[in-house]
Amino acid sequence: MHKAIVAAAMLAAGLATSASAEGKTIAVSWKTFQEERWKTDEAAIKAVVEAAGDKYISTDAQGSAQKQAADIESLISQGVDVIMVVAFDSDAILPSIQAINDAGIKAIAYDVQFEDPNALYITFDNVGVGRLMAKTMLEKGRQDGNFAFIKGDKGDPNATFLFQGIMEVLQPNIDSGAIKNVCETFVDGWKPDNAQKAMEQCLTANDNKIDAVISENDGMASGVVAALTAQGLAGTVPVTGQDGDKAALNRVALGTQLVSVWKDSRVLGKMAAEAAVAMANGTPMEELPGVAKFSGGKKGVEMNSILIPPNPITRANLSDVIDGGWITKEEVCAGVPAGTVDVCG
Amino acid sequence: MVTTTERGGSGQDIRRDNPIKAFFRATELDTRILGMVGAMLVIWVIFDVWSGMLRPNEGLFGGAFLTPRNLWTLLVQTSSIAVMTTGMVLVIVMREIDLSVGSMLSMVAVFGAVLQVYHLGPALGVGHPAIWIIAMAACLLAGTLVGAFNGYLIAFLQIPSFIVTLGGLIAYKGVAFLLASGETVAPMDKTFKIVGGGVPEGWLGPFWSWTLGILACIGIVLALISGRKQRKKFGFPLRPIWAEVTLAAIGSAAVLGTTRVVTSYPWPFKLIEQYATANNVPIPQGVEDKSGAAICMAGDQIVRCTDGLIYYTGYAAPVLIALIVGGAMTFLASRTRFGRYIYAIGGNPEAAQLAGINTRLVTVKVFALMGFLVGLSAIIASARLDAATNALGQSNELYVIAAAVIGGTSLAGGVGTVYGALLGALTMQSIQSGMQLLNLPAAFQDIVVGTVLVIAVFVDQLYRRRIK
Repeated sequence: MHKAIVAAAMLAAGLATSASAEGKTIAVSWKTFQEERWKTDEAAIKAVVEAAGDKYISTDAQGSAQKQAADIESLISQGVDVIMVVAFDSDAILPSIQAINDAGIKAIAYDVQFEDPNALYITFDNVGVGRLMAKTMLEKGRQDGNFAFIKGDKGDPNATFLFQGIMEVLQPNIDSGAIKNVCETFVDGWKPDNAQKAMEQCLTANDNKIDAVISENDGMASGVVAALTAQGLAGTVPVTGQDGDKAALNRVALGTQLVSVWKDSRVLGKMAAEAAVAMANGTPMEELPGVAKFSGGKKGVEMNSILIPPNPITRANLSDVIDGGWITKEEVCAGVPAGTVDVCG
Repeated sequence: MVTTTERGGSGQDIRRDNPIKAFFRATELDTRILGMVGAMLVIWVIFDVWSGMLRPNEGLFGGAFLTPRNLWTLLVQTSSIAVMTTGMVLVIVMREIDLSVGSMLSMVAVFGAVLQVYHLGPALGVGHPAIWIIAMAACLLAGTLVGAFNGYLIAFLQIPSFIVTLGGLIAYKGVAFLLASGETVAPMDKTFKIVGGGVPEGWLGPFWSWTLGILACIGIVLALISGRKQRKKFGFPLRPIWAEVTLAAIGSAAVLGTTRVVTSYPWPFKLIEQYATANNVPIPQGVEDKSGAAICMAGDQIVRCTDGLIYYTGYAAPVLIALIVGGAMTFLASRTRFGRYIYAIGGNPEAAQLAGINTRLVTVKVFALMGFLVGLSAIIASARLDAATNALGQSNELYVIAAAVIGGTSLAGGVGTVYGALLGALTMQSIQSGMQLLNLPAAFQDIVVGTVLVIAVFVDQLYRRRIK
């Protein structure tokens, strides 16, 4: 995260000198605007684009690959300078990306990858989320003992990617026998109530001898913590999560959850917008700060990419989410006894 | 609870049957339900033996399944689905379906949570006693209204219930998302949480559990006596006295057995410790013995021991609610005019209408009742999780319908019992919890649950054909 902020600052500083402010147009083709989170992204993008004196326009594909193709056609004919695409279907979008390239416009794959070597791919380091969860567990939770693994929906590839990252970090301790995998289960639909039942059964089967729980997201962590609470174990067994759910950040402050790995979509929006403005002004994408080659997609196409590291939020850095305006201090500190957490006083 | 609703008394021809048949005919016990209970017990034993092979435990057969702790947890895990299933039986008996219950649960749960966490909490002060009352009333009212709205569309606008509630399944999910912008809303009010059974305040304790168990036994005897009086009054054939006594004995044994199980699950060791230190309860001196569930002082350390300070849980609040709802719904279905109307409509809607039953009004009432029960389940589910999200309750409709069907409710209408559906819910949760206890892969669990559903209906049909 700190690296990301430094990179963003460097980028901003670079822009201040090179911005020629001749009114470029940056366009975003959203896959669907019904989800709350994209509004956060848009606000961040818009702020950067307008501050640079450029124009922001957008289209909403409303969850349809056909509509998105038509949207992009219309953006091309409007003569924009850069198009950021949040692809609804990463394969079906490729002809549209080709059309963007042919028109001499620059394309950015925003958050969702499509494999076109001419485009810039900017996203969070998703594989890293699992690694970060496990790393935080080892550093601030437990290095040994009985571990329970509460994984997401079995049909969601992310659940498996996360688990790969987690295992990468924990494997040495598992091989040495320090960590024992005593329960491991997928949870249908990432549902917290199912996670609660799974955790209850895990506790019953192991006679409460569970030392740490790796939960793949915050929603399921709420179920895990509810199950631990009923056995009087909440707060003594470290639990992981991700998403930066407000309720989860409150649990981090209360001490019933160890970490919530947070992907701040405003950082993503800001970095992408800064890259877009720079590209509109002619900066080659290889020269953008933080750019590296990435070929981890389905087809292995090598692309220039910016992978933003997520931020593991623990008791120690709760101020990051508060200072970032993601959540208020009151929400984080609800019910937290005075003197236990720095930010809560 | 022992007489069936779909078949009246038929006590003749006892002499000609063999003793077993004579026994069932005289007691009018539902052999199909007995078969289900038997199947469930077999499943329990298998899980206990299997889990015992993986890791020996204190269960009846050496495993972790038939322990007071697991059975107690199983009952708590079943309660939210069980409450909704009692309503679903009536909906299906009436030849309708409600696919929207899962999404409706999310919507009502998020609504109740937003109300207490974002509005009532700040306005009245967190922990104010009015919060849980208003929140619960609002959940029940919201559920009832949404259910009634479903019923109105079905009864008065003549839209098929499959379509109305399929629309509800999709739409209510969206409302649940919008109500909290997709966020998890937590934590619930302290008193509200008791209903979930996750805190000691939500456990009845041995004294009240036994009191309640004994009252239930008296209730069973009184119900049998009043049933006998009714039959005499209308000149229906009577059960022999020995059959009545047997029924009372079976019913009481079931009640007292369950009470015995739930009162032998001690509070988790850590909770006894927390409670004792918080309430200045003196902790007896003892010798350290890690195997115990009680707590003792060894020097100035609190340790686990076998015979120190110990509390037992007894019935958990959600289980109690599910049992009371089960009893009330059985009464409603079998002893009231409204219940009779439902079965009459399910048996033959046209005939029921011609006989002067206001079928439209009954439909609205049944869906409103279903909505009320969903509201109740939403309270239980969010109180138990101590949070509400739009993911809570999703796809519950499938489990609720499956439980009703496994419990012998016919999708053709007219046939089904509340206690059968409750057993169906318990059986399904047994299978899921058991497989989780064995740490079996989730995909395998899905396969087993789906297969059991189909087999249960197949066996049920075989049985019905033979009866005819």
